[in-house]
Amino acid sequence: MSDAAGRDAERGPYTESEVIMSTVRVVTPFVLTFGLFVTFHGADSPGGGFQGGALVGTVVLMLAFAFGIDPTRRWLGRRAVTVVACLGVVAFAAVGLGAVALGGGFLEYTAYEALPLHDPVKLGIEAVEVGGIGLIVGGVIAGLFFLTAAGPAADDADAGGDAE
Amino acid sequence: MTDVLLPLLVAVPVLAAVAPLLLSLRTTETGWYVAAVTCAVEATLAAAVVRAVSLDGAVRHVVGGYERPYGIELVADGLSAPVVALVAVVALGVLAFAYTAGPRRNSFYSAYLLLVGGLMGVTVTGDLFNMFVFLEITGLATYALVAADRSGRSAVAALKYLILGTTGASLFLIGVGYAFVETGTLNMVDLADRLAGGYGDRTVLASFGFILVGLGLKTAVFPLHTWQPDAYTYAPDTVTTFISALVSTVAAYAVGRVILTVFTPAFFEAVPAARTAVLVFAAVSILAGSALAAVQSEIKRLLAYSSVSQFGLVVAGFALVTPDAVLGAVIHLVGHGLMKGGLFAAAGVMAARHGARTVGDYARLGYRSPVVAGAVGVLGVVLVGVPPSVGFLGKWYIAVGAVRAGAWPIAVVVFLSTLLTLSYVARLLERLYFAGSTEPTVAAGADADADAGTGAEAGVDVDPDPDPVADGGDRPDSRAPAAVSTGMVAVVVAAAVVAVALGFATAAFETFLGGVLP
Repeated sequence: MSDAAGRDAERGPYTESEVIMSTVRVVTPFVLTFGLFVTFHGADSPGGGFQGGALVGTVVLMLAFAFGIDPTRRWLGRRAVTVVACLGVVAFAAVGLGAVALGGGFLEYTAYEALPLHDPVKLGIEAVEVGGIGLIVGGVIAGLFFLTAAGPAADDADAGGDAE
Repeated sequence: MTDVLLPLLVAVPVLAAVAPLLLSLRTTETGWYVAAVTCAVEATLAAAVVRAVSLDGAVRHVVGGYERPYGIELVADGLSAPVVALVAVVALGVLAFAYTAGPRRNSFYSAYLLLVGGLMGVTVTGDLFNMFVFLEITGLATYALVAADRSGRSAVAALKYLILGTTGASLFLIGVGYAFVETGTLNMVDLADRLAGGYGDRTVLASFGFILVGLGLKTAVFPLHTWQPDAYTYAPDTVTTFISALVSTVAAYAVGRVILTVFTPAFFEAVPAARTAVLVFAAVSILAGSALAAVQSEIKRLLAYSSVSQFGLVVAGFALVTPDAVLGAVIHLVGHGLMKGGLFAAAGVMAARHGARTVGDYARLGYRSPVVAGAVGVLGVVLVGVPPSVGFLGKWYIAVGAVRAGAWPIAVVVFLSTLLTLSYVARLLERLYFAGSTEPTVAAGADADADAGTGAEAGVDVDPDPDPVADGGDRPDSRAPAAVSTGMVAVVVAAAVVAVALGFATAAFETFLGGVLP
């Protein structure tokens, strides 16, 4: 092993770079805002939970590249990513099965007209898009990234949604 | 309320797949219990669906209340009901195997339940694009499962499967895209209506070609099978049992669904060349799979190549589109799932108990594990197609259908493949029961004590083929005797019993398929 490789191994993959950190500090709020903007559109305008969730997920990736993967994971909390992705699945299923419980078909948003809601169809689609797909995609992107970074020896609980 | 059964059939396992992940935050090795409860619920739901189908002929559910052609429809009819039953039964049965054989990690059972949901989705969807989505869910969960023991070789096998499986799914999607361009709809029934009359159109032909090749990759039909022997051989035994029984089976069901419901027999009448192409494809697969199986020495690889051949048979049955042949294809689809699941489970038991992973290792195991070896014998004979058994019924109806349709070569191919199947099953049985007793066997070394090392050494010395022995190296569990539970043995025996019992179930299959046979 050469000296350079040995130093790399000691130092780890993370390099603290003022340029990257400053750029990420500036860019992140915009990316996050844009991600949320895309997420909250989708029921009746272009956008959607998948694209928005992916953007929000990449915010975590950018932070990890700038400030180190392990510190970012600790900052997020070891379990947050798993919980977020799982909540997304639960939210999706809850909206779908809730319609069944109200006497409609699976994901039949018009069934929610029984509840005192303004425009239940739009709210239902938003709930699936934002609460379901957005959370799942964001959570899985961040989770897969942490899982890949941690390598094959990683504990299951370290990252969520490895199969979703 | 019966129509709510179909979305539940898909949603319940997908929702339950979350639970092991959440539980893994606080506990370990709790996933199995979640999977057991879910699969029990799933079996109940499947039973209700099968009952509803037998009463009404078909069950429909319109997702979200958006009627076709705009919305997504879930449909269970006579073609899907047997597959729904198979998926539910095998998913529950494999859990009995998995309890002792492992893996025990929670994330494994998340992927397991996700796979059940995906398989059910492919089986009950009435929408071609939705079928693609569920095929992808099935594929992704399978890739994760194949690599579940986290060994290097299973990871490579999973990666190979991932690349080829994604290619297959993409080709399928391109085909769906062409069909959509031509008709403007994705609903299967609606597609069939709008495609009628325009069968000669190049877009339609391209669509059929892409869809068939894409599904052929997923089904592992020769020469698109190359991912399958590696994936089956290097995956953990539990996973091999599960995916060999279900994953390619559901892809083959999709082939049948596309041929019968979307393109319909009228397409083959209008374009005979398409039918001939599929039949040639299938016939080559039947012969090549059997021939490749006959020269294998590793048990799991032998069974994997045998699957290539059996799925060729199923595809041939669907492509013949006569009532007999389709009946035979569905029987063989279900029968093969049970047989292969049982045989791979038996291979897992033999590997755990005796460290036996090659045909040579099976020498005289018939006397040391009489129950499992007996079940292997029965399942092997069923695979050959000896009556009364489900293997015989499937092959018989496909061959009869071929003869009645005037496709004599297919009948000859079925006969030849039966002979080849007999050759490798007979080789296995000869080893199990009649291997020379003077020969020093693995049995001598590893007899039930903790002396695993000696057993492995003896295996190395005796083995006629040195290559598979190297397998023991990077997989620590592959040669050391491991625990074998009653549940694992019971799964093997149950598969053998059901495979024989279904040999008397022609009437039941016929009543189910009455409404969908061409």
